[in-house]
This record gives sequence, structure tokens and C-alpha cells, in this order.
Amino acid sequence: MDDRKTNWPLTLFLLIVSAPILIMYVWLFIDSVSEINIESIWPEKFTLRNWRFLTEEIPGHGSVWTATLNTTIFATSVVAIVVVLSSTAGYALSRLKFPFRAPFLGIVLLLHSFPSVTLIISIFLMLRMIGLYDTLVGVILVKAALELPFGIWIMKGFYDTVPWEIEMAGLQDGASRFQVWYKLVLPQIMPGVAALAIFSFMAGWSEFVLPLILAPSSDTRLLSVYLAGLIIDDYLSDFGLFKAVGLFYVVPVMIFYLFTQDKLMNIYGGGTKG
Amino acid sequence: MLPASVTVTLFFVIPVMMTFVFSFTTMSSDTGILGNRYIVTKATILDLTEHGIDAALVRQLGHKVFRFNDAGLAKIREIGLDSSLVKEIEEKLSGDEFASEKALFAALKQLINRPRSFKHRKAISKSVVNTITNQEFRTAAAFRAGLVANGIKVDDATFGQLLDLTNTSWRWTTDNYVELLASDFTFKILANTAFYVFFTLLFNVGFALVLALATFYMPSGQSKFFRAVWLIPRISPSVIYVMLWKWFTFDSGFMSYFLGSLGVEPENWLNEFPWTFVIIVNGFVGASMGMIIFASAVLAIPADVLRAAEVDGAYPMQQVRRIILPLMAWPILFITSYQTLSLLTSFEYILLLTDGGPGFFTTETWALNAYHTALSNYFGNLRYGFGATLAVVLVFFGVALSLLYLRLFDFKKLVAEPLIEN
Amino acid sequence: MEIRLEKFSKSFGPVNAIEDMDLAIGDGEMIALLGPSGCGKTTTLYAICGLHRVSAGRIWFGDREVTHLVPQERKVGVVFQSFALYPHLSTFENIAFPLQIRKESNADIERKVKDIANTLHIEELLGRRPGQLSGGQQQRVALARALVRRPDVLLMDEPLANLDAGLRLEMRSEIRRIQRESGCTSILVTHDQVEAMSMCDRIALMHKGKIQQIGTPDEMYHQPKNKFIAGFIGNPPISFADGVVEDGRFVAQGLSFELPDQIKGASVSAGQKIAIGVRPEYLQPDFATAIEGEVTFIESQGREILYDLKLGGGQIFRSIQSSEQTCKLGDQIHWGIDVNSVFFFDEQGVRL
Repeated sequence: MDDRKTNWPLTLFLLIVSAPILIMYVWLFIDSVSEINIESIWPEKFTLRNWRFLTEEIPGHGSVWTATLNTTIFATSVVAIVVVLSSTAGYALSRLKFPFRAPFLGIVLLLHSFPSVTLIISIFLMLRMIGLYDTLVGVILVKAALELPFGIWIMKGFYDTVPWEIEMAGLQDGASRFQVWYKLVLPQIMPGVAALAIFSFMAGWSEFVLPLILAPSSDTRLLSVYLAGLIIDDYLSDFGLFKAVGLFYVVPVMIFYLFTQDKLMNIYGGGTKG
Repeated sequence: MLPASVTVTLFFVIPVMMTFVFSFTTMSSDTGILGNRYIVTKATILDLTEHGIDAALVRQLGHKVFRFNDAGLAKIREIGLDSSLVKEIEEKLSGDEFASEKALFAALKQLINRPRSFKHRKAISKSVVNTITNQEFRTAAAFRAGLVANGIKVDDATFGQLLDLTNTSWRWTTDNYVELLASDFTFKILANTAFYVFFTLLFNVGFALVLALATFYMPSGQSKFFRAVWLIPRISPSVIYVMLWKWFTFDSGFMSYFLGSLGVEPENWLNEFPWTFVIIVNGFVGASMGMIIFASAVLAIPADVLRAAEVDGAYPMQQVRRIILPLMAWPILFITSYQTLSLLTSFEYILLLTDGGPGFFTTETWALNAYHTALSNYFGNLRYGFGATLAVVLVFFGVALSLLYLRLFDFKKLVAEPLIEN
Repeated sequence: MEIRLEKFSKSFGPVNAIEDMDLAIGDGEMIALLGPSGCGKTTTLYAICGLHRVSAGRIWFGDREVTHLVPQERKVGVVFQSFALYPHLSTFENIAFPLQIRKESNADIERKVKDIANTLHIEELLGRRPGQLSGGQQQRVALARALVRRPDVLLMDEPLANLDAGLRLEMRSEIRRIQRESGCTSILVTHDQVEAMSMCDRIALMHKGKIQQIGTPDEMYHQPKNKFIAGFIGNPPISFADGVVEDGRFVAQGLSFELPDQIKGASVSAGQKIAIGVRPEYLQPDFATAIEGEVTFIESQGREILYDLKLGGGQIFRSIQSSEQTCKLGDQIHWGIDVNSVFFFDEQGVRL
């Protein structure tokens, strides 16, 4: 077991079941830059026509750049809110004594495994009532709030691993509780903060259902909604275009993932929720 | 701490409660969500006739007239049209009346500086339209004034009737629950959901285990490759992932091409086998998550234990069955229960893939149906209240299963008291 | 059963861990693979049980060649450092596992497990899970599991490393007793010379992927083949000093004495650089060949006292004495060494 030989039937089996994924993503690239021939899946001719959405609006679908900007704002805001609130709340839950700590922790834990998508209807109605419907602010707040229990829980897990002695020593040395947190404890859990930030960014960049329901109009729509809009448009049935937009949308997150995957894997350290 | 609790409460705890509240209302896009409005809609006009309101009055209520009076012209000036066009309208059309939008547009076409975009023509039409239809009134008095302004005279008795019939505010009701229990669709959706959750789960967990174990018994280069491949669906946005499956199964996509070379007619395979692909598409994503957890669980088994099994004579299949699987009982239980809950309640991938189709309710699951009922359907009337009722069932399951997880985990340990006491 | 390794080599990619190793272990013999960490002893063990594939050479169990057999087909019993008990199985099931895998009948399994449990004094533990056992008990269970199917060879990888000191002493003699009773050819991998010397018939001392010397514990101690072995075996360790041969004498700064006859007669020539090794028990106050230095360190170990003596050339010589403490730190003293018990090494470290 310590030096494994290739087991060809096993490798072949995995290759076959993995084939759809490999094929789909290879052709995502191929078809985005080639003219599509309905008879064959092999590319005939190189073209950049599928990328026209970068310079002109597809009729009825608004500008891709507005959507890109919105997506960027959306994802970064969600990261900022989630990271700041989770790292403070996680610390409080892990280390501070305050009234109703246990019940609050229970609620966070409950919400952490609670399927937030079931709340979408009442959130939609509430946003309509308070006038945040179809605004980026509204959907950012909702997404951040839904990510929070997970973030708080993860951060609490990371804080739990920091030895108490560090804090006790800090207090002995005359630092305030805040200084202890900021200068001694926070640096210890930077891997956790980084993992959470990366995770939230990817979740934000890919989010579809919330913006679809809560911010559907062309000024507020995100790339996911933009692309989904193209796909369900009956007048377009152009996989070349879809794939070009798809590639445009997926490449940043893929690159981001490649550069951050080691850090991101920290988040699975707790082994509770992926 | 405080901001976090406020945000969690505002967008999490309150929505849970509000879902229950909404489920006891008749809220819909017809009634609006704020309530207490008087609106004459096309639907109410049909209703009025049935309730024996004088046909002439009904006609008047449905009547639209486009008047270029002072009020209308003032609104036109605010649209932001070319000043030449505004000037021309003021000169040529002031005081005119049109009985239909078509006539109005015809007249606009005659202008020298005629508005080119449909958006502008529509804006003009909206500025000068005079009708009681589709106008919202917050009070009975305003409604009365609106009627008068549109030159409609009604006696008090008829007005009382009108108030009743045009009041769109939602009511408290338990009918949603009655309907839920009585409806034939409920059973169909329930069956769909059970089918979907069960088979996707089977695929998910089974495949995740196969992947984690197969890659464990491979040379590290290969196992890294396969794990990377299976992570792709998970890190790509759902919209792209599903779009690629649509292409893969499309009548000019890969499957058709591949099977075509074997002599099979091209088909839209997604439409032919909707459930198969709903399960596979969800399963691939779920399997990749399970794979991560299971792979690390296998690695957590001490290497010496597996070495011992090997020298004790256990071949890989026996190791898996007698050592690895029993030691992975907890991760498997965790993934299974976690995926059950998320499959039960999420609808993102089905929405993108089949949207409940093809045809009527073929792959419509409970969560998707709640979404369709309340937020997106072809019938025009979004039934928020009934949608919330459907959601309540899911919320109920969500809370129950989440509580179950709390029992499974060691909650006491997780909330251990802080050691520094201030 | 006799175990033989012929020209066994193992490489990991470009790194050669073991090169051309020959080793023969007699039937019923217990041999120790002793060496510092990274010397290739665990690699050798894993090759014998089949967990590592062999790069070159052959392995024989009796007259059966097992070189290319998978571990499942080798009939070896292994005790791992961590004991590697199956945490989800009871003691009984753990011991029965190798038999169940071979689909032996339940009656046979029952009988064999009871027998071995009896030998190891763990009958009353059969119903417990590994988590409920102490370290020593786990060790016994691991031994029972390794021995239950009467393996051709019993392999133990640092079996005592995870036990605390008292238990280690007890298990040392227990393992030896059980090995003798079972008559099973055994290999013990350890970095601890005391374990190797006290438990095994012979020791194979390994260094950098090669066996430096094979011999009984006594041979290893009194007739080391080279400087490495002399330095590795013995606690407190031997003291070395470099010098040259002049007029039939060993000469170093602050130290000079007449070479014993058998060294003089051997192939040392004048001016040759040699090294000496003096074991602490051969440096005593009343020994013949005078040696002079300053006491720089004294450690009382209760029954014995350990001294460090710093010679004029800066070399440190260690002495272990059982008598009362005779001097104090900083004293200049005259002691002596027993020249006939001193080891002499040539420049390559080979003993003369």
C-alpha cells in the first residue's frame, strides 16, 4: 500500500465516469472561439464572433460590463461583511462570556445547517416591504446574512484551536482584551480568515438564485443572471455565445481557485460543513 | 457581536417567522403585499359583470382615454424627450383625445420629430392616459375622487359594492393549508421530491465513496488528477455547469454526436430522460463534495491500521468492506444527512436544467414548486401566500433535521465555557 | 522458518535506500535491525512483509521465494509501533481478523484466538474495544493478532516505543518469552540498543542503507568492526581520540602510550593516523596506562558515577566508576586506561 501500482481497470473506469466533465470543459473553451457546425462537434473555423458581447449589447440583455461590475461589487462586499462580522462574532462565541451565549451558539449552529433557500419567499416579500427589492445593497445584505452562520461557526472553530495560554500571557503583559484579540489571536487564525474570505468570494461570484429573485433588473443583475437570461432567451440558441460568456464568467473564479486552493482547504479542516 | 446578531436576526430569524406569517395570508401579486388598496384590474372588471354591476358602468371603468390636457402635457415635459418633440406635441396635439393607444401611436407617427424608440412612445402614452383601470388607491375617498376625475358617476350603494370588489388587500386565511392537503399536485410533487432526493442521494454518496476510495488506492499523480477534475463542477458557477450539461445532452451536442457515430438518431437527451439527467447533474456536484470529506476521512485512518490489514491478508476490497467503511460510518452519516437536507430544499440546478419540465410538473420538486408558485410562473399571478405555505413545510423539515444534527454532534463540548472570565 | 535476503535493494525514485543487502535469519531466531532513524531498517521490514516492492534482489521464506508476492500472500505477522489495532473491532475480533479473512471455520477461529489469548494473558480482555485498553494491553493484543495464524516470520516495528518506561521493561522480557514459546522466526526493528541487546539472539546494525555488522550482542559490544558500531553500541558511549603512530606508540596531544603487541604486529606503520576508542569502564583511577586531565563533568547515577575528563589536547574521555566519588569538578587528576581493551581504528574507521 505504500507504493501504489496503477490499477488499469480502475483508472479506466474513473476516466470513463469523469469523461463528461472533461469533455464539457474542454468544449467550453473550444466552442467559445469557433464557429459551430450543427452536424459535428469538431470546430471548423476560428472566430471571435462569440465574444461580441464584450463590445456590444446583446439585444434585450443589457451590458455584460454592468453585470461584471455588479458581480465584483457583490462578491467583494459579501466577503467584507462576512469576514468582519464572523471574525468578531466567532471570537466572542469562542472566548467571551456574555449572557445567552449558549442559546446564541445553538441558534448559530442550527442556522449553520439550516437550508437558507427555504427563506427566499419571505425574504423577497420583506425586501419589497422595506424597499430594498431590486437593489444591490439588498441582495448583498441577504447573501452576507445567509453566509454568516457558516462563517461564524468556522471562525469559532479556528479560535477554539488557539491556546488560551497566549491570551492569558497577553493579559498578564497588560494588554486589553481587544489588543489581545487584534494583536495576538487574530494573527494566529489568519489561515482561517483567508479560507473564509476565499470561500465567500467564490460563493458570491457564483451565486445565482438570490440575485435572480431579489435583483433581476438589468441595472442590478449579476453575471450569473445575465448568462441565465441569455440561455433561456428563445431568440438565441447559440451555444458559441453562451460558452464565450460562460468562459468569461468562469475563468476568474478558476484562476482564483488555482491560486488559493491550498489556503481554501483549511476550511475543510473542521470537517463539519463544506 | 452585535452587528452579527442583528444581521442574522434580520435576514434569518425574522424570515423564518415571517414565512409562517405569510403562509396564513392570501397575498399574491394581485393583492400586493402592503394591503388595503383599491384597484380596478382587468380581472375585477370581469368579476364586476358577474356581480351584476350595470354594464355601462363596467364599460366606463374599463375605458381608457388618452388626453393631451395640461396635466398630461406637464408629465410629458418630465420624461426627458427632445425639446423639439415636446414643443411639437404642445403645438399640434394639445387638447386632443384618443380612444386607444393604437390611435395615439398613429398620431405620434405623423409628427415631424416623431419619437423613435418604443420606450418613448410608451412613456408618452403613460403620461396622457386617463383611466381608472390599474390605478392604485389607498383609501375609499381617494378611490371616489379617482372615479370622479375620470368622469364616472356611481351611487353610494354601487360604490359600496365596488369598494368590496376592488379591494385587493390580502386577508388572513387558513385556506392555503386546506388547498395544500386537497390538491392533486401535492401528491405528485411529493412523489417527485422523494424520487429525486432518494436517487440523487444514492448517486451522490455512492459515487463520492467510489471516488474517494478509488483515488486512495491509486498512485498519487493519478489521484490528484481525478480529484481536481471532480472539483471543477463544484467550483464553477451553477449557471455554467448546467449550461454545459444542456449542451452535452442537446440534439447537436456531444452525446448526440457520439451516439450518432454509433448509429443512434440525435435527440435532445435531456428531454428524453429528464430525471436521469436531473439526478446526474445534481449527483456530480454532490459527489465532489462527498469526495472531499470522504477522502480526508480515509486519510485520517492511521496508515498502520491499513498496513496491518494488508499483512493480515485483507485484499483492497476486504479492506474497504471490513476496515475502511466501518471506520467511515460517521462521515458517511454526516454527508448523507447533510445532503438530504440540501437536496430537499435547494432547487437551483433543477431550475436551470429543466425548470420542472419538460411538460407539466415532470421534474417539479417541492422546493422548485414553492419558488414557481410564489416567485415565477406563467399564469401571471404570483401566489406569495401559498408559496409561503409550501415553504413552511420545508422550513419545518429544515429545523427538524438541523436539530437532529445538533443531537448527533457533541453540542456541550462545542459550547464549553471560556477560561478567561471577563 | 529461515528467512533470507539476497542482494536486496530498494530505491525511492532516484534515492537508493538499501543497496545489495544480504541477510540470513535462522529458524526460530530473533534478530534485531538496529540503527539510527533513516538507516533503512523500516524499509527492510516493509520489504520483508511486502508493503514495499523490492527494487532488486530476492527474498526467501524457507525455500519459498516471496520477492514478488503481495503482502496478503506472504504469511507474516507484523506488530506496528502504533499497534494499529482496528478501532471498531473488539479484542477478539481484532485477533480473529487474519483468520476470518482466510475464511477459517468459526470453531477453529474460536479455539486459536483462545489459545493465543491464553499465551499472552489477555483472556479477560477479549470483549473490549482497543480504546478501552492500556498501552501494554494493546501491545499484547497486537502481538496476539500477529501470531494467531502462526506466521512464517514475526516482524516488530519499534514495538516498545509507544510504551512508558516501566511497561517497556516488562514487555521486553514478555516479547522474548512469547517469541521463544512460539518458536517463530522474528525480526525486531529498533533504534534502541538496549532493546536490541536484551531481546535478540543477534543484531544487524544498519547505517546508511547497509548492514555494518551482524553478530551476537556480545560480539557487537566487544568486537565492533568499525568506529560507527563502536560509537553506536554502548551506553554511556565510547570516547574517541585521534592520533598518530610514532615509535610503536600512540601519540596525540596530551596523550601517549605504548601500543599493545597485537596492534604493533599488525599493519600500522610509523606516522599512520589512527583513532582510539575507550569505553568508560576501561578508564579507571587505578588502571595501568596513565592519563591526565581535568574533571569537567560529574553525574551521579546512584549506583555509578559518570565523569568527563578533559585531556591536554581538549579530547573528552568518559569514565564510569562504581566506587565513592573521589574527586570534584575542576580537579586535575591522574587515572589510567586498560590498553588491551582499547579499540584502534584506521583512517577509514575500520578496526585494526
